[in-house]
Amino acid sequence: MTTHAACPRCAFDAVRTLAASPVAGVWLVRQCERCLYTWRTTEPVRRTTREAYPEEFRMTPADIENAIEVPTVPPLRQP
Amino acid sequence: MAYDDLRSFLAALDAEGQLLRVSDEVLPEPDLAAAANAAGRIGEGAPALYFDNVKGFTDARIALNVHGSWTNHALALGLPKHTPVKEQVEIFASRWDDFPIAPERREDAPWRENTQAGGDVDLFSVLPLFRLNDGDGGFYLDKAAVVSRDPEAPDDFGKQNVGTYRIQVIGPDRLAFQPVPVHDVALHLHKAEEKGEDLPVAITLGNDPVMAIVSGMPMAYDQSEYEMAGALRGAPAPIATSPLTGFDVPWGSEVVIEGVIESRKRQIEGPFGEFTGHYSGGRRMPVIRVDRLSYRTNPVFESLYLGKPWTEVDYLVGPNTCVPLLKQLRAEFPEVQAVNAMYTHGMLVIISTAKRFGGFAKAVGMRAMTTRHGLGYVSQVIVVDEDVDPFDLPQVMWAMSAKVDPREDVVVVPNLSVVELAPAAQPAGITSKMIIDATTPVAPDVRGNFSTPAKDLPETREWAARLQQLRTAASAR
Ligand SMILES: [Zn+2]
Repeated sequence: MTTHAACPRCAFDAVRTLAASPVAGVWLVRQCERCLYTWRTTEPVRRTTREAYPEEFRMTPADIENAIEVPTVPPLRQP
Repeated sequence: MAYDDLRSFLAALDAEGQLLRVSDEVLPEPDLAAAANAAGRIGEGAPALYFDNVKGFTDARIALNVHGSWTNHALALGLPKHTPVKEQVEIFASRWDDFPIAPERREDAPWRENTQAGGDVDLFSVLPLFRLNDGDGGFYLDKAAVVSRDPEAPDDFGKQNVGTYRIQVIGPDRLAFQPVPVHDVALHLHKAEEKGEDLPVAITLGNDPVMAIVSGMPMAYDQSEYEMAGALRGAPAPIATSPLTGFDVPWGSEVVIEGVIESRKRQIEGPFGEFTGHYSGGRRMPVIRVDRLSYRTNPVFESLYLGKPWTEVDYLVGPNTCVPLLKQLRAEFPEVQAVNAMYTHGMLVIISTAKRFGGFAKAVGMRAMTTRHGLGYVSQVIVVDEDVDPFDLPQVMWAMSAKVDPREDVVVVPNLSVVELAPAAQPAGITSKMIIDATTPVAPDVRGNFSTPAKDLPETREWAARLQQLRTAASAR
């Protein structure tokens, strides 16, 4: 089975396995530990490899850090 | 005919020729989403899709496009499958008047058959999860009914909310969750987070077909979705008590997921291809810790494809968006005849109304924008005369072309609220809004030359019915 060294979306190299196919050895579900992008190893290469991953969906550490909060966390109310 | 669970509805769709079973082996991606995407592109009367041979899975059962045509929407409401859309909306509106119908509590919920709890929770072991659109951040639960309670009124049945929100699976027992600020669950979360408390939730998957309609319906904060489901079904909605949260959940669900939205925490979520036909996200969203899973033996995983309209979600939320606007407008303006809010969740609304006096139609348009749903969605309103059918787009275009003086009849109001998802908003959550008054001016508004309109011949209605009968008879031969 192909192994994926880096996240297709943000190129981070810490990737974990969330699930394996009930039929052994068919696919794994992988997840980037930084941007949480999740993919199955049998998906088309445009979703599973950094090289083919579309420019418009790529994410940088700054994109993650600066993403707006929805909804915003309210101030703590004094009891 | 009221369906108590998804399975009995799938059987009914099957009997009506509206369920397509795909028995050949398919890939989870891209086949499942592409098939459901295609169902929205093959013309009227598209069937629901059922897959049970998905590569790598041993016993996946996946239902898609269950509400994805006017035919299936009619059947969901227990109507004959060829009921015209305008009639489906009218029947929906008249059943609404039966609200509230108290639910019926049952103890023997089939989802009690199997349980995972605590550290044993593994969503991937129960649900055949898969991706919808290329740029989605991951796998989503997008047709769930999420139940939450007002932390300051935990025993108030009316303030208990049931809503549909987008939910990304970010771990075996973790979900990212999008509560849009105008929605009830966001109010519940706000109250819990102000106190630094987690907000318990119960997420139900694979619900009966009316539950899916009411959980996507814009209702008042203290109105119960279960009592509305009863009205729309014409029979009390069956509910059961969920084991961990004690919330009221649909009796017939395939899967019940319970846990908490962790207080004051946000984590990257998305993007997700949305009903607007555009991706939204990634944003920092609340996170759910799943503490308990309950599920029927051999659960059916129901999902819906959404993306560039029209897709299943447009049929699912079309009439249920029209009816609250119709009711709320009529409450103050009984002249309102019909409301078509079926384009992108009511971002564009077409209203037909009689006029009380000059300028009246513009007032109706402004009111649509200040309804509860309008605050978050309605950004364009077209108002037409009482004799124009707002569901008949050629008639609407005729009214626009013949009745509108752009300088006088197009009103633009800047900087109003809209959901963050609206692609045209700038900044996100803020947009201008437009009313196009395509009604005939009445006194004291004396513009234009509208004194001699041509009208359908008096005999036309009778002939329309006669032609319909002849056509039906011909097609039956
Ligand atoms: Zn990544």
